[in-house]
Amino acid sequence: MTSLLEVQNLGISFPGPAGPVRAVDNMTWTLGAGGTLGIVGESGSGKSLTGLALLGLLPGAARVDDGSRVLFRGRDLLRLPEPEMRMLRGGTLAIIFQEPMACLHPLLSVGRQVREAVRRHAGLTGTKAWAQVEVLFAEVGLPQPDRIGRRYPHELSGGQQQRVMIAMALAGNPEVLIADEPTTALDTTVQAQILDLLRSLQQRRGLAMVFISHDLAVVASMAHQVAVMRKGRIVEAGPTGHVLSAPKNDYARMLVASRQSLYKPPRPPHANSVADHRVLELDGLQVDYRGRGLLAPPVRAVDGVSVSLSRGRTLGLVGESGSGKSTIAKAIVGLVKPSRGDVRLLGRSFCAQGWRIPRAMRCQCQIVFQNPYGALNPRLTIEQSLTEPFATLSLSPPGGIRSRITAGLDEVGLEADLLPRYPHQLSGGQRQRVCIARALMCEPAILICDEIVSALDAHVQLQVLQLLKALQQSRQLSLLFIGHDLEVIRFIADDVAIMRSGTIVEHGAVDRVMADPQHTYSRTLIAAAPRLAA
Amino acid sequence: MTTFLVVLRHVTQAAFLIAGITVLVFVLVRVVPGDVVDVLAIEGGLTEDQAQLMRRELGLTVSWFDQFRAWCIGALQGDFGESLRFRVPALDLVWQAIPVTLQLAAASLLFGFVLAVVVVLCATLWPRSVFVSIVDILNIWSIAVPTFCAGLIAILVFSLWLGWLPVIGNVLIPVIILGIDAAGQIVKPLHEEMKELGTAAYVRTARAKGIHPLRIIAFHVLPSAAPVLLAMTGLIAASFIGGALTMEVLFGLPGVGSLTFNAINGRDYPLIQAVVLFLAVSVILINFATDLAQRLIDPRPEH
Repeated sequence: MTSLLEVQNLGISFPGPAGPVRAVDNMTWTLGAGGTLGIVGESGSGKSLTGLALLGLLPGAARVDDGSRVLFRGRDLLRLPEPEMRMLRGGTLAIIFQEPMACLHPLLSVGRQVREAVRRHAGLTGTKAWAQVEVLFAEVGLPQPDRIGRRYPHELSGGQQQRVMIAMALAGNPEVLIADEPTTALDTTVQAQILDLLRSLQQRRGLAMVFISHDLAVVASMAHQVAVMRKGRIVEAGPTGHVLSAPKNDYARMLVASRQSLYKPPRPPHANSVADHRVLELDGLQVDYRGRGLLAPPVRAVDGVSVSLSRGRTLGLVGESGSGKSTIAKAIVGLVKPSRGDVRLLGRSFCAQGWRIPRAMRCQCQIVFQNPYGALNPRLTIEQSLTEPFATLSLSPPGGIRSRITAGLDEVGLEADLLPRYPHQLSGGQRQRVCIARALMCEPAILICDEIVSALDAHVQLQVLQLLKALQQSRQLSLLFIGHDLEVIRFIADDVAIMRSGTIVEHGAVDRVMADPQHTYSRTLIAAAPRLAA
Repeated sequence: MTTFLVVLRHVTQAAFLIAGITVLVFVLVRVVPGDVVDVLAIEGGLTEDQAQLMRRELGLTVSWFDQFRAWCIGALQGDFGESLRFRVPALDLVWQAIPVTLQLAAASLLFGFVLAVVVVLCATLWPRSVFVSIVDILNIWSIAVPTFCAGLIAILVFSLWLGWLPVIGNVLIPVIILGIDAAGQIVKPLHEEMKELGTAAYVRTARAKGIHPLRIIAFHVLPSAAPVLLAMTGLIAASFIGGALTMEVLFGLPGVGSLTFNAINGRDYPLIQAVVLFLAVSVILINFATDLAQRLIDPRPEH
């Protein structure tokens, strides 16, 4: 395999108040024609900066080391004059990013955006350019390639948006495609389709690919070679099979182990669960949202959902975005008003009370959200955030608020010295622990977890999940765990309900459903989930 | 459907707004001490009896409520009353003044708009260039230098000292002064918006396509900043329709501004009411046009 792209001693730093901060340090690798290099690492490890550096797209403040070289066919891209680099960018070297919705211009039709790349790199104009756009749209598997170009990004699904981005990348007939977390923001089944598309394009066009992701399983399914990054350095690199099956570096081993330990959860028999003590029951729950415009019909987000949750057990609610799972959570805590059906919390019907949930009931059911950055007020210290539940619910815990807060932090594995800090001074994992502690302040019977580990790195994810399990054991807590990651659900849940378009298509014990899904959609979903070979 | 509702909402809002403004102005002009007869009395030396007779003739002696009713009935039929001072229909005076004001406002706005966009484009493209300072200078100028002040100095320099331009009826100086004022109001928010939008993910996508920076700024960033640009331009347009007053008075341009000035000075109630009504309708129309333009630019449904 001859080397197409060679990175030598790549170092990137940012100026900081206490001297330059190293974002990427002494990175060296080579990529052969038609090969795929996977770069794995957690957020902030420098993997995305590496991708941007290859195309000369680094943010203005970034400084590349003098000794760094990025050789493409022997030419050093870091020293190429800007006009020449511009010819390569989007031409021979193309890139796709995560969150395609944000990456497409919201005010331009997708056809125009791809046409711009076609004009730039294929030199086509007028109807010829449009024809080429159609060809590209067809190649990436977009429906109605002759018509879809007139649509705007917001009119396409997430998967279609990413296909448009890929079409744009293909416009310049690239030799190297850099894919920076291309499926992270997408649903599981869509992710599988996009990965398939990338693999087939690679085969057909002989593309070399740099595949950047935090998801080991996804990288394992795409890359021939893999490099594991931590704090800007490659800690381990080699053929994918080797690195992932027998990692030598401690960090790489932990990364692999934390993912694999999700597969084999310790599942002690639920001795202390009282199966017939139902703490939460949903009975034919239906939620409608107002449609757009005055006369538009309402949108049915949840359509006749009936499930129940027993004391000390965990119900996993799985589904793709828009399937109605978060709406159910909102209905339970009274953030949206159902149009039909009933929610019974500890045997008391919400519907009978006109959906006005008394305060004492609110204490019984608390919710933790996905994004711990958004869920904590940036202007309040951790102590202020944790004190709030007592004020809003007018509670006075025995022994005083302060000691309750300290005990609460201790329970989620945090030290009391975090109290005077602000959210931005905490890591993502710490923040999510604070959110859990806050939810537990008023001693709820039920904790609703709405995608609470989705924004966290793999090993932090495992820690938070283990924490939840421990809390459940010690407090007899019932969990309603909403997620899209099937492995996470399998780890945490006793029962699982799979949702699609507002209804539950399959419901049962998690082991049974995962091993032997009955519904077609469940099967598709489970088959699409990327897994790391044990 | 939604567009129809938007129009309906605008029309309803406008109707309430105009009604409110009408009442307010009607009361306000009468609360101010002195009426047209007082003004004429000072100018022409009327006796108390003559003045009283004149008031009766002009219908100023009946109650405010009756005056208001009579005015409303007339206005609904397109009759906005007669100017108390010039003794011609108030509406005719407004119609005569409109072209002058429109020309002045349109020319100034166009000049200011182009100046602002060019300066901001350059400042965004070359963030360390002199254009960034020009943005600040224009902005501070528009805040610190009132247009009448700049106008007086310009008259002094260009008309009196240099003798290049006449004082009365000169349009060039007002257009430049108002244009710079408009540009100064637009540049700062527009520049901030452009800088902010420059960090958007879709701008990075455009760079990754290998597009030239100038093209990125003109075709990717600027369209996204259009809502800010439009909103600012709309506001300034609205203020120019009525607010070119000082410029018109200073340079003797017979526009709506001068008309307003004379009407208020002469306590010419029907004329004031007609002018204010015209201004209200113009502002509402400009707002409506701005809103509609926003909708045309942004294909996304309202959030």
